[in-house]
Amino acid sequence: MDESAGDIGTQSYATKFGVYDEMVAKEDKVLPHWKHFMGAIATLGSEQLELRRREAQRLLRENGVTYNVYGDTQKLTRPWRLDPIPLLIGSEEWSLIEAGIKQRAELLDLVLKDIYGKQQLLKKGLLPSELVMAHHGFLHPCVGALPPLQRQLIVYSANLARGHNGRMCVVDDRSQAPSGVGYALENRTVMTRVLPDIFRDMQVHRLSGFFKALRKGLMDMAPMKEDPRIVILTPGSLNETYFEHAYLSSYLGFSLVQGDDLTVRDGRVWLKSLDGLQPVDVILRRVDDSFCDPLELRSASRLGVPGLLEAVRRNHVAIANPLGSSVLENPGLLAFLPRLSRYFLNQELLLPSVATWWCGQRRERDFVLQNLERLVIKPINRSSGNYALFGGLLSTQEKELLRAAIIAKPHCYVGQEQVNLSAVPTFIDHHIKPRFAVLRSFAVASGDGYQVMPGGLTRVARQQDDFIVSTQASGISKDTWVLADEPDKPVSLWFQPGRNVVLSAATEPLTSRAANNLFWVGRYLERIKAATRLMRTILHKLTEIRELDDPLNSQCLNMLLCAMTQVTGTYPGFIRDNPAVLKEPQNELLALAKDIHRPGTLAANIQTFTQTAFSIRDVWSQDTWRCVDNIQRRWQQRVVNGDCDQEQLQKNLDDLITGFVAFIGLTSESMTREAGWLMLDSGRRLEHALALIALLRATVVQCHEITLQNQLLEAVLVSTDSLSIYRRRYRSFIQLPMVLELLLMDETHPRSLAYQLHQLSDHIGALPRDSRKGQLSEEERLILRTYTDLRLIKVSELVKVDDDSGVYSELENVLSAMTESLWRLYEVLAQAYFSHSQMPQLMTQTQPEDES
Amino acid sequence: MKYRITHSTLYQYSQLVGLCQNEARLQPRNFWRQQCQSSRFDISPEPSDFHERNDFFGNRVAYFAIQQAHQRLVVTAVSEVTVFPRQNPDDLANLITWEQVRDQLQVGLGQTQSQSQSQNQQQQQQQDFGDELLNAKLYLLDSPLVSTSAELANYAQSSFLPNRPLVQVVTDLMQRIHVDFTYDPSFTTIATPLSEVLQFRRGVCQDFAHLAIGCLRSLGIAARYVSGYVETQPEQGKQRLVGADASHAWFAVYVPGIGWLEFDPTNNTVPFDQHITLAWGRDYTDVTPLKGIAFGGGQHTLSVSVDVLRLE
Repeated sequence: MDESAGDIGTQSYATKFGVYDEMVAKEDKVLPHWKHFMGAIATLGSEQLELRRREAQRLLRENGVTYNVYGDTQKLTRPWRLDPIPLLIGSEEWSLIEAGIKQRAELLDLVLKDIYGKQQLLKKGLLPSELVMAHHGFLHPCVGALPPLQRQLIVYSANLARGHNGRMCVVDDRSQAPSGVGYALENRTVMTRVLPDIFRDMQVHRLSGFFKALRKGLMDMAPMKEDPRIVILTPGSLNETYFEHAYLSSYLGFSLVQGDDLTVRDGRVWLKSLDGLQPVDVILRRVDDSFCDPLELRSASRLGVPGLLEAVRRNHVAIANPLGSSVLENPGLLAFLPRLSRYFLNQELLLPSVATWWCGQRRERDFVLQNLERLVIKPINRSSGNYALFGGLLSTQEKELLRAAIIAKPHCYVGQEQVNLSAVPTFIDHHIKPRFAVLRSFAVASGDGYQVMPGGLTRVARQQDDFIVSTQASGISKDTWVLADEPDKPVSLWFQPGRNVVLSAATEPLTSRAANNLFWVGRYLERIKAATRLMRTILHKLTEIRELDDPLNSQCLNMLLCAMTQVTGTYPGFIRDNPAVLKEPQNELLALAKDIHRPGTLAANIQTFTQTAFSIRDVWSQDTWRCVDNIQRRWQQRVVNGDCDQEQLQKNLDDLITGFVAFIGLTSESMTREAGWLMLDSGRRLEHALALIALLRATVVQCHEITLQNQLLEAVLVSTDSLSIYRRRYRSFIQLPMVLELLLMDETHPRSLAYQLHQLSDHIGALPRDSRKGQLSEEERLILRTYTDLRLIKVSELVKVDDDSGVYSELENVLSAMTESLWRLYEVLAQAYFSHSQMPQLMTQTQPEDES
Repeated sequence: MKYRITHSTLYQYSQLVGLCQNEARLQPRNFWRQQCQSSRFDISPEPSDFHERNDFFGNRVAYFAIQQAHQRLVVTAVSEVTVFPRQNPDDLANLITWEQVRDQLQVGLGQTQSQSQSQNQQQQQQQDFGDELLNAKLYLLDSPLVSTSAELANYAQSSFLPNRPLVQVVTDLMQRIHVDFTYDPSFTTIATPLSEVLQFRRGVCQDFAHLAIGCLRSLGIAARYVSGYVETQPEQGKQRLVGADASHAWFAVYVPGIGWLEFDPTNNTVPFDQHITLAWGRDYTDVTPLKGIAFGGGQHTLSVSVDVLRLE
């Protein structure tokens, strides 16, 4: 290899004795395809490769590729890590792996059909019944409930590792809701951007054919073949692989739904959308099977749909993979697969499984007990705190406990050979070093057989000698390049209509949950903007006072500080009997910017805004999401975690406004003017109106001496971004009637109350509803009344002072009535559009039956 | 003996329920000592979706959904059942020791298969026996409410004398539970774990059935849970049976070659013609008479009434 490669470490790359290395295989020299690749990156050099690696990380982060770690609410999402060196697999070797995966998928499909069908395997003694029935994945309500399909196992995934003899073997099978296809695709997308030339030179198989097959496979499952509606069922944004759910939903064009977005009526599954109930034909589920139906399966589940299994039984909906398919993830099954392969296929397994002894048989149990030190012991039922134990790492006492547990319930345990992983070159700290790797590969039932993704998700351990390769344990992922003999033709995922055929456009219905979240994204956005602008005005005032300390200025400042507390609802804040807080307002102001744990602060609202937006990640364009990510990350880094003083805060507030303006611009540009956008904008309009009213009530309702009032009015105009328009329009001193005219009544001014109500009224009129012609809905009635009330106002009436109280009482009355109407409007909208979702409750006796 | 059973459940809600889905196992099943002549539901409001099927255990299940807003739901099942006065075939069963039963259940099915080489008929019998044994093995395994444990095995031990016929073992165990445990409806709920029942020696019929099942499974004997009713009217001169006017529960034990024999530890009796069976399964969770998921509703109250009327 080229001498200049020295700096990157391709020369000093040390393979270890007894470890199979992917780059050198069993020979003592680098395999040709690796040589080619290594030559290419050596030419790039270490510095360049590090830059490409960072570029990859940036792209992944900006695309919102994350992996959630349970139990860590502070850092909910963790960026996905990608190594710039892919795992390379030559075409000859790949064809062996591919054939092995196909065979295994066929076999497991037959086993699944048998277990939930005739159970011949149990009756003939080919599979011990206690192995199947004691596994929590065996769901007896699902027996006899498989739909009449050629294949039941639709999506299959296997974790592959290579022993030191160089043979690939299957470590475990994933059969219920395999994750990783989306991450694999995203890894590929990023790799082709950061190493485009090398990628092209190496002639790598493309992935799009697999996704096309997945799409087709899911379409073909539909009980009613005509234009089926397919949804992806996710447990929600807290799930570890939520990014992938949202990503696949956008990529494949299926609605992303949660359990409470669906309902079962008349034995069919329906999507609760703004347009009413829409039938659902196929569900790609990412919810574990026992959580899918609280009526028949796990009753405490909030993630499922009651009656779902009944709908399956009547063949009104198809689920991929079918409920109960996790029975195939039983590690005890591995011991029986060779026998089952001979029985069903009359073939030997092409890909062996890791050597497994199921303790339910006496001989195997004794073997495991005698060889505890050398084996990995797994309970057949995975649960938290109850996973694989490495016999060799146990103390004598722990070993005795394990021994006793195995003897008490032998059928619940397996012993497995410790897998030797192979090492693969990985770019760590500017150098190439060997790391242990596991390859997750995927297959999908499509047409007459299984199609295997040419590639997959490779994961490597972060530390040397570490055998724990998992994403939860902060591993690193790699793209997997399966090399082709000739360049692969790109496959379009999309259906190609004939020439000159105009298809009618389909719109995916907006779920009530997504509608609600969009609405609240809009509300949080305006809430943050209002607080930001007011805080900016206050900081200006503080600077002014530092230059010219006149009592009028201070008085005005105090009023604004109190308004800040009122507008953000962060009581007691500045409103308390403690002059010190007002005298030294910096601390409280900084707290309002930084304190993530206090409701109403900028930091807390930005966090909620981001989380709400993330929970509907699928509705945002790539650019829009990048914008959300930037807003959140900058505020977190510079203000919440940073050492931010008053001056920097000022600058960050400016940036924040710019960030939100960009978000608004992008959503206005990229969202179609359908229900989703109407919801987002209605949320904005409603909150904008409420914030404006709150500001006016906190500042100008009280009568002040004229010079103070003028100062306050100016501050109000500044903080509503209306000062220049006021000047242009009235060319005069600032006076209350005209300020009210502009901020309340002027429909042409986008910051005015009239403008918000006008927009709201249009949006509400455009929302989908039951067509009862000629009759206004409750929400239409309410907005019409509120808007009319506003238009009937005479500003001159509002500014009559009530001598006794020193308050513009008419103004106060009008504003408080408006607030009330707007809150009522929210309730009515929520009732009509967001709460198809009543909370479910379990109705069963909790008292003993025979308590008479 | 012929009975008419009326089992009625009333739910009342503080707020409207927009949708509820339910599953009822309220229709008596047929087997060697019982025949159900008729069984019908009276549900109000009337369900918009109603579907009957048999579950994995062979019990009759009715799925129904109420899709209109309601604040009150009444589910009544009326069934007419004949219970034949048939005894457990004790003489035969008395010959088989508990160790023999345990070992037969332990044997892998491959072995029972390979023995059946001879004629077709014998093969068929062997096959049926194999299926029955296979089915019984399910009831050796842990189930949601019953996990085998050293404590349960320990309690059971003194009934399991060496070479004792299984029927005697179970009869003894039933008696001991009846004597050692206090019937106390205030003590347990459905969520009370078996270990607490064992520790405090209190419970109701469900607990006693679960307890006996746990003891038997802990020593390798297959046992299942039976839900049903006991006749209300006491015969003259006899004590009134506990569990009348309500659902009741007991258990059954598998004896290879004979079948399932029933025992009622709450009343220390072998069910004869006063026990009407609804359904059986691994434990209560498999045979819950009525369960449902309601959307909305606020607070709910529930009341159950059962009437067992002897017709002839």
